[in-house]
Amino acid sequence: MKHKALFLVASIFSTLSFAQNDSLVNRLEEVVVTADTKLQVHSVGYKVERLNDSVILKNTESFTNLLRFNMPIYLREYGSGGTSSASFRGTSSSNTAVIWNGININSVNSGQTGFNSLTVTLFDGVDVRSGGGSIEYGSGAIGGTIHLNDNLKFTQNTRFKNHTLFSVGSYNTYQGLHKLKFSNKKIAINAGVSYNSSNNDYPWLNTDYKNTNGAYSNLALNFSGSFYLNKQSQLNFYTANYNGERFFSSELPNPTAANDKYQDFSNRNLLVYTNKGVAFNHEAKLAYLTQEYRYFDDKNSSNFNFGKSKRMLVNYNLKYSFNKIRASITSFSEFENIYGSTDLISVQNRRQFSQSVVYNQNLQQKIAFEAKIRKDFNTDYSVPFTYALGINYKVHSSWYLRVNGSKNYRVPTYNDLYWPGQGNLDLIPETAAQGELGLGFKNNKFSADLGVFYIATKDKIVWTPNGDEDRPGVWVPINLSEVNNKGAELALSYNETFHNHKLQFNFNYSYTEAIDASTDKQTIYTPKHLLNFNLSYNYKRFSGFYQQLYNGKVYTTASNSEDFIVPDYAIANAGINFKVLHTKVNTLQLGVKVNNLFNKYYVIQPRRPMPNRNFNINVNYTF
Amino acid sequence: MKINKLLTSIFILSILCFTSCSEDDTDSEPRGDYENGILISGEGSPSTGTGSVSFVSNDFTVAENLIYKTVNNVELGTFLQSMAFDDDNAYLVVDNANTVTVVDRYTFEYKGEISTDLELPRFMVVADNKGYITNWGSTSDDTDDFVAVIDLATYTVEKTISVGNGPERIVESNGKLYVSHKGAYTTNNIISVINIEDDSVTEIEVKDNPDELAFNSSGDLVVLSEGRTIYDANWNVIGHTLASISTIDTSSLAVDQEVVFAEGDHPSLMVIDNETIYYALSGSIYEIGVTDTALSSTSIFTAEGYLYGMEVEDDNIYLLNANFSDLSTLNVYSLETSEQVSTQSVALGASKIYFN
Repeated sequence: MKHKALFLVASIFSTLSFAQNDSLVNRLEEVVVTADTKLQVHSVGYKVERLNDSVILKNTESFTNLLRFNMPIYLREYGSGGTSSASFRGTSSSNTAVIWNGININSVNSGQTGFNSLTVTLFDGVDVRSGGGSIEYGSGAIGGTIHLNDNLKFTQNTRFKNHTLFSVGSYNTYQGLHKLKFSNKKIAINAGVSYNSSNNDYPWLNTDYKNTNGAYSNLALNFSGSFYLNKQSQLNFYTANYNGERFFSSELPNPTAANDKYQDFSNRNLLVYTNKGVAFNHEAKLAYLTQEYRYFDDKNSSNFNFGKSKRMLVNYNLKYSFNKIRASITSFSEFENIYGSTDLISVQNRRQFSQSVVYNQNLQQKIAFEAKIRKDFNTDYSVPFTYALGINYKVHSSWYLRVNGSKNYRVPTYNDLYWPGQGNLDLIPETAAQGELGLGFKNNKFSADLGVFYIATKDKIVWTPNGDEDRPGVWVPINLSEVNNKGAELALSYNETFHNHKLQFNFNYSYTEAIDASTDKQTIYTPKHLLNFNLSYNYKRFSGFYQQLYNGKVYTTASNSEDFIVPDYAIANAGINFKVLHTKVNTLQLGVKVNNLFNKYYVIQPRRPMPNRNFNINVNYTF
Repeated sequence: MKINKLLTSIFILSILCFTSCSEDDTDSEPRGDYENGILISGEGSPSTGTGSVSFVSNDFTVAENLIYKTVNNVELGTFLQSMAFDDDNAYLVVDNANTVTVVDRYTFEYKGEISTDLELPRFMVVADNKGYITNWGSTSDDTDDFVAVIDLATYTVEKTISVGNGPERIVESNGKLYVSHKGAYTTNNIISVINIEDDSVTEIEVKDNPDELAFNSSGDLVVLSEGRTIYDANWNVIGHTLASISTIDTSSLAVDQEVVFAEGDHPSLMVIDNETIYYALSGSIYEIGVTDTALSSTSIFTAEGYLYGMEVEDDNIYLLNANFSDLSTLNVYSLETSEQVSTQSVALGASKIYFN
């Protein structure tokens, strides 16, 4: 596949969207088909950072680590490989939406996505958009959205490419991956299979214990295709399947007490028909998604708790372009039918219809702006009217200003509403009003983006005892707290080439204050400081990289007691690769990676030490 | 909480005796920083903070949190369910860690731990130099619950005694262990009586979900059964079973008296002090005499916040307002005047009070 991409041990591309119409995509030599046009076209004023496949291949161990080392996102992981969640800008983990080919895939039951229950190595790219996105992606898109995309390409000549990866690491960690891409003028196919397994029984530094009961294995199968019907229209489909089993490790003082097992299965299918005319573009989508988890409190028992959901989506988008004034107006209509249940909650059906309208215009090649509105109709509760505005202003050839503001929401989950004896049917959605102002610079070597943000969230859903006076002592979710977040994010990227030497540097820093209005204190598990950088160097057949993460201290109590904190930590990974074979059609690369290079003791959750220094040997073959 | 009510009283007496009629020393040396005070155990929460013990001096002038961590520089883990005592030691029962940590009860220095052969340990009692710990066993199995018998010289489980589902509190009197079966994640309605001499188990039926146990001044066992809420398949409430305060004659093992609560009332905490039974219902505290055959209709206190622990000592009532996202609050009121005597910030998820 991407020879170049594998050569350049590169890079996060800050795709700071100036692309004001679909022509960006069409201008490329190859025609790229993507299901998530909202991300590509309707991110005016937002910062979107892309992790391409060469970056993804540096952190294949987990989606959690990929994001932690490359993005300004806080990942909270219950021991390596355990339950994992992500937060943008000090918002809660249920305020992060994961989008698969344009569809929000957060769990209906918990409202979140587990970042260790997804295999991302099969995707062509992961895009991270900071800021609110409920207009485009619905519930939970408050702090930011994480996009998993399959990119299908039609090519002039017939192409057939394969990529095989195999790696062996410490603690009996194995990974196998095969991706296949076939394309010609009329058909583009991507297929991939990946298998991961690990005993994950790393020694806990400074103790006599190992990470007992931490093993995992998972299998993922992805398949997508695009068919050229005629000059105007094409048909695309996408399917992603995942089947994983994990054991949950425990905490000090006695990790041998751990005895839990967790399985999850997901199946996602999407069919898209597009028709592009001079003035009118039509897009119709049909999706069917299922998700199921099984939780075994005792791994030796056949008894388990479960949660299941089935979702059907029908979507029709119509875009009209005012080509003369470089403007467009797009209507997005979506109907969704959801069935969710758990072992304790009988099947609940939720139907919702949403309608949004986006107006987009480019003024004199300098100012691009977008205005968006959305209204949802839901069988369970009323969802507020939402709106957003984004502006990009090209100040100078390399300088730009970007501004966005939006109102977003997160609906109560099935657990919040229906948990036996504890659910609360009177809940209303959380809402967040937010704004961001960014200043950026970009030329062919250097790019920088500095943004400041403000988020005011109200009616946050919090589980609390005595939440309902009719149910004293019972933990009940209520619309309780109000949180105000403010902070700044800096993203830098630099690349240099001299003779055969190539250097690439990427850097992220974020400062976050998330203040609970009732206590005037920082919310729990919100680091003020987050920093990471990646440095890659490439010389002929050699390449090497270094990754650094600094995660600031977090408080774990509402009063910010110094007695209950998770201390800050700084950890680093490094790797070197050598291309044993390198021809026009074949590349065979051998690599070694060291995780936690300096063998640092650190915890992300109290009393759960993270892995010590460990190694991974990998073979990448493309043909 | 009240597991060791008797033991505690004996210790208080012995301390009094030790201080007032000490034979060996002229002035008794304090046996540690944590003598002559109140110990509060907090369950902790996996994300928020460790299970911990707080100390408050008897005169309320000294208060210290996280005393185990301060002395030993390690955390107890979650959830610190309960504590038990003998002459020298305190036993800290951490259920999710399947561990009972042994410390010197006055200095809180680590002395050892029992971390094998326990499965979801809940409460412990010491009798005749043996420890007895109730265990839920696997949460997926209602039939593997047991009482572990601990050799206190080696801190190991020397044998187990199989009991019914969900054993909770455990107290000892005259060579017999009394275990309330609250039913773990489900429900139960028995008190197990274990004869220490031959491990034989006799079951006494009481109202649903028996939890708190205490002996009254006549030596009878008083049981608080909380009753349960009945749901249909869709988890709508369709009824309740009744709660009660039952008095069991420890020689005949017959339920002598049963004071029953109104349908839908689910009391939670109970303490016996002298001739008075104190119990909590919907966040309010009520009192009745030990021989009363009817409940009280007027509460003596309304607890602040989330009432999660209660004790009575020296004419004061101690109430815990538990917080699982932060430190909890101990409120002490005079029973005589109803005035607040003290308020202290104590362990995260505070649930039990012991007098040391």
